[in-house]
Amino acid sequence: MTTSPDNGKLLHDLRSKCSSLKSAAELYKDCSAAEKKEMLALMNAAAAEIVKILAQIEKA
Amino acid sequence: MEKLNILVLEDDKLAQKVMSAHLAGHNIELSGDLNTALKKIENGRYDIGFFDLMLGPDDDHSGLKAIAAAAAKGVYCVVVSSSDSDETIDRAYALGASDFYAKGNESSNVADILRKFLQNRKAAGAKDIFSSAFITSDPETKAAASEALKYAPTELPILILGPSGTGKTSLAKILHEHSGREGAFVSINCSAYTEDLLEAEMFGHRKGAFTGAHEARKGRLLEAHKGTLFLDEIGTMSLTMQMKLLKAVEERSFYPLGSEKPEHSEFRIISATLEDPQALIAQGKMRFDLFQRVHGYTINLKPLARRACDIAPLLQHFTKGGRRLSFTPEARVYMENYAWPGNVRELKKFVDLVSGGSQGRVDITAVQKHLKNRDAARPAPAQDGGLYAYALANGLEAALEKVSGEIITRNLRENEGKKTKTMADLKISTRLLYSTLKKLGIEPEGEKK
Repeated sequence: MTTSPDNGKLLHDLRSKCSSLKSAAELYKDCSAAEKKEMLALMNAAAAEIVKILAQIEKA
Repeated sequence: MEKLNILVLEDDKLAQKVMSAHLAGHNIELSGDLNTALKKIENGRYDIGFFDLMLGPDDDHSGLKAIAAAAAKGVYCVVVSSSDSDETIDRAYALGASDFYAKGNESSNVADILRKFLQNRKAAGAKDIFSSAFITSDPETKAAASEALKYAPTELPILILGPSGTGKTSLAKILHEHSGREGAFVSINCSAYTEDLLEAEMFGHRKGAFTGAHEARKGRLLEAHKGTLFLDEIGTMSLTMQMKLLKAVEERSFYPLGSEKPEHSEFRIISATLEDPQALIAQGKMRFDLFQRVHGYTINLKPLARRACDIAPLLQHFTKGGRRLSFTPEARVYMENYAWPGNVRELKKFVDLVSGGSQGRVDITAVQKHLKNRDAARPAPAQDGGLYAYALANGLEAALEKVSGEIITRNLRENEGKKTKTMADLKISTRLLYSTLKKLGIEPEGEKK
């Protein structure tokens, strides 16, 4: 199976967002309460982006 | 910890947050787009730059442009990107990137990058070491020591081999100084103690643990906590002690003599020996498992006689700040051809002796007075670069004659001129002996009995 150029870009974005989310999850436990709140908001936003990208991949 | 100036080019807010957390303690500047990053690079001074490549939804690896700009300003450029095709990696390195990591393992990668950067910076500064703390102009010795310095900031044990007086302890200290370890450099000469005393010295003891233990004493292993334990002459340690040390190294804990409470110590081992560890293992004098634990990286220091180019800089170093000496050309040649069985330590002693003499200008007579053991422990001719150069200049036959001459005259000297003994020792004919002596311009005398 080959990946179309557009699909390739989406997959790159997916990998990038997932990697950030994984790295953030590893850091989370060591964050202060304030940082946890900020981190959680960013992780939620990243997760929402991932859902969006997955939907786009599904459509493509 | 040294505070570094770091630029992070990353458009993803969460990734920015992750990088900031891993780089805490340093001066960090964040850029979310190429233009801001280029301005910062132009106006700022950064040690390291972390670069994402795809910046924004429709971007085509614009982060590469920032790498070129940063590399041109001497910034150590590291790509952290999910875009890691072979083509992109090639382009990033071609533009001046020093490292390329795929996103997703920042917790260990960022720490590795920082360590590597600091290590490279120290290694670059290590050139000064060779004109101060570890004097050498010998390219082979410099290369070996520089290579060892690369492992200084790691946990890897280092084994330093080399004859007595070649600078093993000095090198161990330098390795510790470049290790970044917060603890002390603790040295112990294993050959200076009996087995019982060595055990007490290494592991410490409680008050009353043995006759004469009037006070409790901390052992060297504990003193070396978070630092370096330098085990000099490790080859002389008894097998029992080796076993005890091995256990302490493996478990990072040990029991001081007379104590039931274990002590914990995180030390890094640097060891040294003048013997061949493989031979010691073969002879059953060294445990193979201990050897495995202490020889992570091995450096071999050459005897001074095999790095004659170091004699002049060492002489200069040892006389710095004190009485400056001048050596006649003949004296210099004599010193360069001397065997220096005691190596740098002997040279230091020699400098102390001639410095105390009445003449500041040192001639060959004064040198010979202190360096009598001229041919002792000369390096094997095959390893002697000087002989090789002689062969290139005068031909192989002349070089072979030179070697024969040196061996014959040395043996004659050792046999106090007894030719029959020399002929027997070297298994040579009367004809060869006499022809060699004639070529050397030595008048054959009557046989000495």
